[in-house]
Amino acid sequence: MYGWMGKLIRVNLTDGSIKVENLNMKDAKMYLGARGLGTKIFMDEVDAKVEPLSSENKVIFLTGPLTGTLAPCAGRYEVVTKAPLTGTIGASNSGGHFGPELKYAGYDGIIFEGKSEKPVYLYINNGEMVLKNAEHLWGKTVYETTDMLLEETDANARVACIGPAGEKLVLYATIMNDKHRAAGRSGLGAVMGYKNLKAVVVKGTGSVEVANPLEFYKACVDSRAKIQANPVEQGLGVYGTQLLVNILNQFGSLPTRNWRDGGVFENAEDTSGEALSEKYLVKSKACFGCPIGCGRITRIPDGKYAGMGEGPEYEAGWSFGADCGIKDLAAICKANFICNEYGMDPITLGSTIACAMELFDKGVINKEDVGFVLQFGDPDAIVDLAKMTALKEGFGAKIAEGSYRMADEYGYPELSMTVKKQEMPAYDGRGIQGMGLEYATSNRGGCHVRGYMTSVEVVGIPEKLDPLVTTDKAAWLKIFQDLTGVIDSAGICLFTSFAIGLPEISELIRTATGCDCSDEEVLRIGERIWNLEKIFNLEAGFTKADDTLPPRLLKEGLPAGPAKGKVNELAGMLEEYYKGRGWDEDGIPTDEKLEELSLK
Amino acid sequence: MKINFFANIRDITKTKSIEIEYSETLREALLKISEIYGKKLRKEIFDGGNLSNRVIILVNGRHIAHLQGIDTTLNENDEISIFPVVAGG
Repeated sequence: MYGWMGKLIRVNLTDGSIKVENLNMKDAKMYLGARGLGTKIFMDEVDAKVEPLSSENKVIFLTGPLTGTLAPCAGRYEVVTKAPLTGTIGASNSGGHFGPELKYAGYDGIIFEGKSEKPVYLYINNGEMVLKNAEHLWGKTVYETTDMLLEETDANARVACIGPAGEKLVLYATIMNDKHRAAGRSGLGAVMGYKNLKAVVVKGTGSVEVANPLEFYKACVDSRAKIQANPVEQGLGVYGTQLLVNILNQFGSLPTRNWRDGGVFENAEDTSGEALSEKYLVKSKACFGCPIGCGRITRIPDGKYAGMGEGPEYEAGWSFGADCGIKDLAAICKANFICNEYGMDPITLGSTIACAMELFDKGVINKEDVGFVLQFGDPDAIVDLAKMTALKEGFGAKIAEGSYRMADEYGYPELSMTVKKQEMPAYDGRGIQGMGLEYATSNRGGCHVRGYMTSVEVVGIPEKLDPLVTTDKAAWLKIFQDLTGVIDSAGICLFTSFAIGLPEISELIRTATGCDCSDEEVLRIGERIWNLEKIFNLEAGFTKADDTLPPRLLKEGLPAGPAKGKVNELAGMLEEYYKGRGWDEDGIPTDEKLEELSLK
Repeated sequence: MKINFFANIRDITKTKSIEIEYSETLREALLKISEIYGKKLRKEIFDGGNLSNRVIILVNGRHIAHLQGIDTTLNENDEISIFPVVAGG
């Protein structure tokens, strides 16, 4: 067995039974691993109409064939379930070291089903696995939980866990591993919380075998050299992703104050990556096997927001910064620390607070509802609400629903900057047309990362496209979405793709697994995965009507900046996109397309 | 006209922005600041006579790839921004 370990652990939380099963190798070759294979397994076993917070839902942790190997940035794994926030197929990707450890223990992944009566955690130590009582951990933060678990199991083990937000079923609770890395979006942590599954602890001392060691080694050296020589990757290591604040602001596409005030934030500089590096950065940090090191270890030395942790990433920094109209970088960092500590998605949290700020501004909610005056620009608000939300205290219980459900309750769903109920991150689709199309079509709702058109429309990698036009955006988006599907399923980090592309990634997969697949066949795996996710969403009840954007992006032109007056011209791009994907005019994959992808 | 510097470009210029005398083209403006800030900046911005692939240059928020590149003509109150290539996700 090469690349894959060939084994899955199946845990029934209802009756406490644990079994080891063989990995379906036919499916593994068609869907690779992690996101793709996890989705296939999930769809084979769970009805698409399942309630996300139910015993019938399952949650799957799955690595890819490259996870834990010498391939660059090979620390990745995916968690797959039906997402509480969106009701779509929910798959979140995370880095750190947890994924490799699971493979070294001898397994590709774990399937959790049912619901435990009492809080438990799963402890895997190579060939031994046991469900242990977690009542003493319930209520503890991610940091506390991780420390306690390492103490009681093995100091060198790796921990993935939920914090209080997951326990309280905050709809965008995260699963955190290695304390600071997150399977971040769509509320997968709440599924664990519902099932009373507090954590997974893994210790593994084995290794991953590859099919052609010498060829694989050469492919790794080649990829790593390209990554290390690449200026984008170098920049990421020095500055992290927060550098994008000033760039997006210059492009007039940094969504400000709940996207209401256009794409230029007057205080962008104060919240920028440059400011972060200057004031609060301790050092960079890398995940397993990564030469990039985009992680930030950050410390606020004193003052009311004093603390230490990791991040913020660009999108998190944006949601607490420009989106809430806040310029206090220490408060932004603190809110992000709280998210990591308590296990919540900062993108959704910040965006939901921003939505509440606009509702307050309009007089729809008031001091009595919130407990205090809630204004754009108030740094205390994001820090206080972060904690309140994690524990569902006071108005935090409303914020915990996410912006769509909250705004809808107050009669203003159009003020929720979401697609399929998930908040769009930090790139204004009016100034960057292709990003708007990504948000509208992404299989998990408002997601920027699976079709990162910013690469072509802002940065110019591999080519520079004009962000203000719609030409060619649909075709490029398909390529990005398909390739990201491959990367997310292979077990390496998406950030490698600024330096290496399909040929290098395919070569890594071929030489590791021994699969004789061409570059085109590898990309087709990505297309297959995208279509599979689409089928799930259709079965779950999503239609073309859901492939849209908030009215603000379709009707309110940007008030200022280089993209002044622009709205997102979705209709034409969407039509082109469906056609390019081989879907009918309602966005349903045709029989022809399904047969081509062996999905029929 | 104003020229804004970001990220590691600031490490070279030691400033966030500078006002320079009007230049007719972007090339002229870039040559001007290369004179002011020296070899280190020139190496970031130019590869021989062409623009390097290590920088993103905007004029009034528009990437010069969609204007006339390094030969973009400038107006009196234009604002130029110079970034290293960066990305995120």
